[in-house]
Amino acid sequence: MKRYLALTRGNFQVWLAYRFGFFFTIIGNVIYLGVAYYLWSSIYQHANVIHGMTFNETFIYIALGSAIFILLKTYADWIIGNEIREGIIAVYLTKPLDFQLYALFSSLGGILMNLAAISIPTILILTLVFKIQVTMGLGLILFPFSLMLAFLISFCFDYFVGLSAFYTESIWGISITKEIIITVFSGALLPLQFFPDAVQKILLALPFQAIYHTPLMMVTRPNQGWETFGPMLAVQAFWVLALFILTRLFYNQAIKILRISGG
Amino acid sequence: MHSMGEYLRLYFIIEAQYIKARMQYRADFIISSIGMFFSSLATLAIFWVLFDSIPDLAGWTLMEMVFIYAFYMIAISPMQILFDHFWQLRFHVAEGTFLKYYFRPLNMMFYYMSEMFDLKGLTQFFVGIILLIYASVQLNLDWSLLRLGLLLITLFSAALVQISIIVAATCAAFWVINAWPVLGLAWKLREFSPYPMSIFDGAFRFVFTFVIPIGFVAFYPSQLFLRPEEISPLIYFSPIIGIGMFAVTYWIWTKGVNSYTGTGS
Amino acid sequence: MSLIHIENLGKHFKVLNRREGLGGAVRDLFSGDYRTVKAVDRISFDIEPGEMVGYIGPNGAGKSTTIKMMTGILKPSDGTIQVNGLAPYENRIRQAQIMGVVFGQRTQLWWDLPVIESFKILKEIYKVDQKTFDDHMGMFNELVGLKALYTQQVRTLSLGQRMLCDITASFLHNPQVVFLDEPTIGLDISIKAKIRSVIQELNRKRKTTIILTTHDLGDVEALCKRIIIIDKGKILYDGNVKQVNALFGAYRTLKLQIDDFTESTLEELHGKFDEHFGTGHGITIAEVEENWTDVTIDQARTHLSDVLSLVMTNFSVYDVRIVEISMETVVRQIYDGALG
Repeated sequence: MKRYLALTRGNFQVWLAYRFGFFFTIIGNVIYLGVAYYLWSSIYQHANVIHGMTFNETFIYIALGSAIFILLKTYADWIIGNEIREGIIAVYLTKPLDFQLYALFSSLGGILMNLAAISIPTILILTLVFKIQVTMGLGLILFPFSLMLAFLISFCFDYFVGLSAFYTESIWGISITKEIIITVFSGALLPLQFFPDAVQKILLALPFQAIYHTPLMMVTRPNQGWETFGPMLAVQAFWVLALFILTRLFYNQAIKILRISGG
Repeated sequence: MHSMGEYLRLYFIIEAQYIKARMQYRADFIISSIGMFFSSLATLAIFWVLFDSIPDLAGWTLMEMVFIYAFYMIAISPMQILFDHFWQLRFHVAEGTFLKYYFRPLNMMFYYMSEMFDLKGLTQFFVGIILLIYASVQLNLDWSLLRLGLLLITLFSAALVQISIIVAATCAAFWVINAWPVLGLAWKLREFSPYPMSIFDGAFRFVFTFVIPIGFVAFYPSQLFLRPEEISPLIYFSPIIGIGMFAVTYWIWTKGVNSYTGTGS
Repeated sequence: MSLIHIENLGKHFKVLNRREGLGGAVRDLFSGDYRTVKAVDRISFDIEPGEMVGYIGPNGAGKSTTIKMMTGILKPSDGTIQVNGLAPYENRIRQAQIMGVVFGQRTQLWWDLPVIESFKILKEIYKVDQKTFDDHMGMFNELVGLKALYTQQVRTLSLGQRMLCDITASFLHNPQVVFLDEPTIGLDISIKAKIRSVIQELNRKRKTTIILTTHDLGDVEALCKRIIIIDKGKILYDGNVKQVNALFGAYRTLKLQIDDFTESTLEELHGKFDEHFGTGHGITIAEVEENWTDVTIDQARTHLSDVLSLVMTNFSVYDVRIVEISMETVVRQIYDGALG
């Protein structure tokens, strides 16, 4: 365990050097929030409640989505993809590390930094500038756990895309497709309630909604009980398990190729 | 040293070779084009779903939004296809490999941009054209020769605006070590170009019109064709905005190039 | 009129006085505290058409800075520089037409394209007429067998092949001066020899002026009649290669890792040498990095084998390397007045 934590700390320090970057990312977030505010105000000119959500609820949803977006972005796909392309991967095979865990803990370092430097300031701006208030409730307490599960799911997808570099050169194409699928179908850009019923049912059955929709709904509607949140967390946990198993299988397949053809 | 015509000819020669070499990677081309196809339509898809729930957005109907969006797709294509190399600028500057661009009797911006030609951007370009035609038909717009000419001019100018914003952002690499965030921000802003500017007021509208004029990439020019009766005088600035912005960006580029000394001594 | 005329040329940079620690880094952002570094300090020399000159110096000597001013990348702070009668910085594009540049470390050719396509593109860029193009390509084929490489992508070439392509490409448009930077770096002896002979031929056939910057004294020895040595922004030596070579060609440096190295070890070494060879031995001893001791021997005066056996007998040595004299040592020697 210690080994993996050391990796996290190492990457944390690298990120610390990129203060300039955080400033701009926060500015970017603020601009996005502003744009979202105007956009959704325009939309809500037509009605006070759309698909069961008020303007406030929708705005909290979208705004918080932007704050956690950076937390759920792991770049594992690019990093692993590049390592495979450049053959560095062979080095990791010789170390006493589980590759997936190595990748996971490496991405954590950046995440912790982004939490402190971007997400929290963004949330502060939300409360202070936009005067968004959230009522206390079970949802808020469970939110961090939901977020962690969401992170693990997001990581699995990125990891999967990274591994695809074993099979193809075009990491970009696959990565961007993954991003689009996730951002559109997870409810990151548009709460799932806005989708047509039939589509909604399908989307709720997919793992993507467990990345954004689930945690965001916990904060948007925190005043519900375990009978609502319990199943949501369970579904998330299910996907984490399922995806971990699937990606490990994929890894074993992929690594066979490396071992046989010499990379 | 070289005339415009010679530069054009040189460009064709270089890119023809480059494309020939890239086409050897068939799989990559196909997968990237598919990825491009999806990514370029993502925002539109969101709007399309949204319009199930609302009749219009700040007075703009779905079909009008499709038109604006298509205009946007066509307008950002030149930046995507021709200026793709600039995304690497910060690496070349940091590693010193940027020096090689000083040694040919060529304009350096031309030389730098000619080294990459993004084929997958063509997907976005053609999808944009198809959508524009579709939206015009649905909206019953009529296209006289004059209007077509105006369309070309405004597209050209919008393309220049987009190119100028991104290239200027990449030039931060000449002065700052970690220039990526500037570029990342400029890139993020382009996402808002197809939004109707009328949803904004105050500071935001000011910034998006006069400071980082993404409004001129799609929305304002589109008004000329969608709501010609409603246009504000602002719209007539479209053509020169593009040229003006590019001049500013070129000035920034020149300053950066002159101040660069490479690594080592 | 000389091709390259440099008179009292100077270049200084403003460098931020960096402060330590996190707090210092923040204060640096707002600081105006600069110091001036003189990278090139009033140097003068002239180079005539057709000359092949070695321009050498240790890292940080001001070498690259001078080359950058000659090629028009940097603007001089003081003095004059003229290449073919024009100031390089103000006339970059025009000067590029009469210049060729080759970097040992990276190629100027198009990475993904077949070799011949790079040459064809260069033909367009430099407006080389068909006859000159054909003549030159023919010559290049004679010299290095270029035709065999025509259809290969530059990225698939070996380092040696790539260097030969880069060098010949730099001569395609009949430049008046070619700058070669580390042309043989990383290559084995036989390729080095080939490259040197190609450079020589091109200089002979085309009377092209060549400025060679390199850390490999073998290159300089083989190719240049004249050598200019720069260090700390000033010219240390500008003259005949033979003289420098006679002085340093026979030098060898013994790099030793001595067990139980203490402060007095260097003195002890010195004492032993004095004892054995008499005080005129001319051996210099320096402790370099990380327990390595450099013992530099002038083979004209003492034999390497004698020194080595003396050291091994009297000291516990656990690693030895024998290298030709380094540029740094040459410069140090010259600085210390070895040329009198």
